[in-house]
Amino acid sequence: MGVVLTKEPVDEGELVVDGASVRFYDSRESRGSRNPIVLIHGTTGSTAVHFGFLFPMLATRQRVVSIDLGQPTGELTIDSFRRQVEAVIDRVLPDESITLLGYSLGAVVAATVAAARPEKIENLILVAGWAKTDAQQVLRNNVWNALYASGDKDALAQFTVFCAFGHPFVGARTMLELEPAIAAVNVTEFGVAQMRVNRDIDIVDRLGAITANTLVIGCQFDQMVPNRHSLDLFGAIENARYTEIPSGHAVVFERPAELHKHVDNFAADPRRYPAGIRIPAVKP
Amino acid sequence: MTNHTPLLIIGTGFAGIGLATKLKRRGYDDFIMIERADDVGGTWRDNRYPGAACDVPSHLYSYSFALKSDWSRVFAPAPEIWEYIRQCARDEGLMPHIHFNTTLLEASWDEPSALWRVVTSNGEYTADVVVTAMGHLADEKYPAIEGIESFTGEKFHSARWDHDAQLDGKRIAVVGSGASAVQIIPEMAKIAGQLVVFQRSAPYVIPRPDRAYTEAEKRRFARDPESMEALRSEMFWGMENNYAQRRAIPRSIHEAYKVANGHREAQVSDPEILAKVTPDYEIGCKRVLISDVYYPALQAPNVHIEAAALEKVDGKTLISTAGNVYEVDAVIFATGFEAIEPPFAPLIHGRGGQSLSEYWSQGMQALDSTTVTGFPNLFIMNGPNTGLGHNSVIFVIESQIDYIDGALQYMSERGATVLEARPEAEAEYVDAVSDRAAGTVWLNGGCKNWYVDYRTNRLTVTWPDFAYAFRDSNGEFVPEHYLTA
Ligand SMILES: Cc1cc2nc3c(=O)[nH]c(=O)nc-3n(C[C@H](O)[C@H](O)[C@H](O)COP(=O)(O)OP(=O)(O)OC[C@H]3O[C@@H](n4cnc5c(N)ncnc54)[C@H](O)[C@@H]3O)c2cc1C
Repeated sequence: MGVVLTKEPVDEGELVVDGASVRFYDSRESRGSRNPIVLIHGTTGSTAVHFGFLFPMLATRQRVVSIDLGQPTGELTIDSFRRQVEAVIDRVLPDESITLLGYSLGAVVAATVAAARPEKIENLILVAGWAKTDAQQVLRNNVWNALYASGDKDALAQFTVFCAFGHPFVGARTMLELEPAIAAVNVTEFGVAQMRVNRDIDIVDRLGAITANTLVIGCQFDQMVPNRHSLDLFGAIENARYTEIPSGHAVVFERPAELHKHVDNFAADPRRYPAGIRIPAVKP
Repeated sequence: MTNHTPLLIIGTGFAGIGLATKLKRRGYDDFIMIERADDVGGTWRDNRYPGAACDVPSHLYSYSFALKSDWSRVFAPAPEIWEYIRQCARDEGLMPHIHFNTTLLEASWDEPSALWRVVTSNGEYTADVVVTAMGHLADEKYPAIEGIESFTGEKFHSARWDHDAQLDGKRIAVVGSGASAVQIIPEMAKIAGQLVVFQRSAPYVIPRPDRAYTEAEKRRFARDPESMEALRSEMFWGMENNYAQRRAIPRSIHEAYKVANGHREAQVSDPEILAKVTPDYEIGCKRVLISDVYYPALQAPNVHIEAAALEKVDGKTLISTAGNVYEVDAVIFATGFEAIEPPFAPLIHGRGGQSLSEYWSQGMQALDSTTVTGFPNLFIMNGPNTGLGHNSVIFVIESQIDYIDGALQYMSERGATVLEARPEAEAEYVDAVSDRAAGTVWLNGGCKNWYVDYRTNRLTVTWPDFAYAFRDSNGEFVPEHYLTA
């Protein structure tokens, strides 16, 4: 399918859920005793775009499955995505307990899966996620929609980069250096539908049902999903620990290795830090 | 007269000085350091060739416990780094501990007395515990070249630069195209009448984002040390991202090629030179070098690049493996260091008189990269599987400092006089490192590098993972890995 995640080819497959085509990738090889980890990308993302670093690096240590969410024929809701993830898990990993990782909108999806299937989701990682959309997010969403409707693709791309990356990251670069990131912004119909879902997320009432060992990762300079949302998740999920990365929302591009470190450590030993703890950053 | 000390640290580079600082700061003060030279600084005392500088940014390539707000540049020149280490040694009160001009000749484990007997060029010592901090790139390596003794001009190694040599306007040869060579060549191009570069294999070279820090920035760092720490963290994790290239991760390797090939093609216009400087192996198999002035220097009118090794010397005539002949007045060897078989290994004898080099006849290995079965109460810094191709070696050194400090504290709490790596723990660690190494570019990249043991094809010099994983694995002493008495 033109998606090259690892040097050795990975298994690929497709499922149809509510009329949506849902692709998945599976590195197969378990390499030890960790639970398989399942990755869910964020808004307008995909496995290749959001997990081009994480998937292959984690696959050097454990089995990794990743999902490309799809657009159903009917109305798109957070539960459409939840069903897609559950369908892939039940197909690919029917007997295993799993570690589930969601990034951004994927974290919202992951939390709903963990709440619905506590027996299945043993460990949960929520990266730059949230539970209830707030006015700051709606304001950004409004501007985004207005730019999209205006047809000014360049303005929309620049606005996206402006919001996605942390201010220290952007501030340390020239406009020329930012050009590739701006050029990479590509909005599809499906992306617009996801932005609509983002507008009124509210999964607050489901969080109490999550029993998984949970790691919440907030991004210190996040302007899309400010990290107070991650702290809310840290408070709402009983068995949660928290850590922070000094990046913007686009942590998968800004600080992929640091993100990998937290995921790798947690996947290896989810209970190394007890619930309620803020895990310190590495002091290099 | 024999000096006795509870702890003998051999070597006063970043490793030795760092360890001594940590011990001193926690109030442990009863140790001696020996150093073969007449000053501290190791690498940065020895490497004083024109153009010498670090290639990890200075705000990261420095101790986390001794941040320096006024680094002059992103990549500080060697003399500034040397002065930094000297300053640390003075500030921490280490100078009185150091016996200079004292070369280790032999260290033997005395089984009945459970201590090390250490013979030096400057007297004998006994020590309960010995730490080797003799470096991994401390002893220069010369290639075997037929007739080299017949050469009548100036000749020296990059790490033993002859500052009295008259090089201006001379015909100079630089042998090598590694990390030191790319720093030296642009400097020699400025002064040589003619310069020839013997290149056995072309390196990948990427841009070097160097610049001077302004006075305002330095003052900001001094006034707001947190911004120094934030910068350090950004640099560290930025470099960690590059580890994915060593694992040949498609997204990362693609970016790496784009940067390296783009730099080469932007800087080299002559198609003949371009062909010579285009590497024929996978990126990262050898160290990826940084320079903005290397390619331009190679295209200067007084510079010639010979894409072949130096094979023979006859008087002032140099002949390459391709049969080309050059007359020169001076030869500079930028041919690297003895890393695979460290020169201190034959000097150290453990239980039963076995030397480390005998124990390592199939390649270096150590438990947690630090201790060796059969060599009790010995800790090795910057030894087996500690090198980093992609990040700061000081991160590794500081991890080892914590490990060794933990071991020393454990011994004193338990009243243990002998601490020795369990053989099964060492074997397990060695297997785990081999697992990490499988699939890295160093083993699969189609090049000859100095990280892999030529006898066994095992990766023994480099740590084959993220730097953070070194600290996770080896940053804390693990009593269960040891036998004590
Ligand atoms: C030119 C150059 C540039 C480098 N740049 C970087 C960089 O940018 N980033 C990076 O991470 N790493 C770099 N390195 C690697 C560098 O070697 C390490 O970062 C670090 O300096 C090693 O410190 P050390 O204390 O282990 O060894 P050293 O600095 O080599 O110190 C060892 C000390 O032991 C002494 N010694 C050796 N044998 C004996 C003996 N028999 N008896 C008594 N004393 C002895 C030596 O004289 C020396 O003082 C560079 C290396 C070189 C050569």
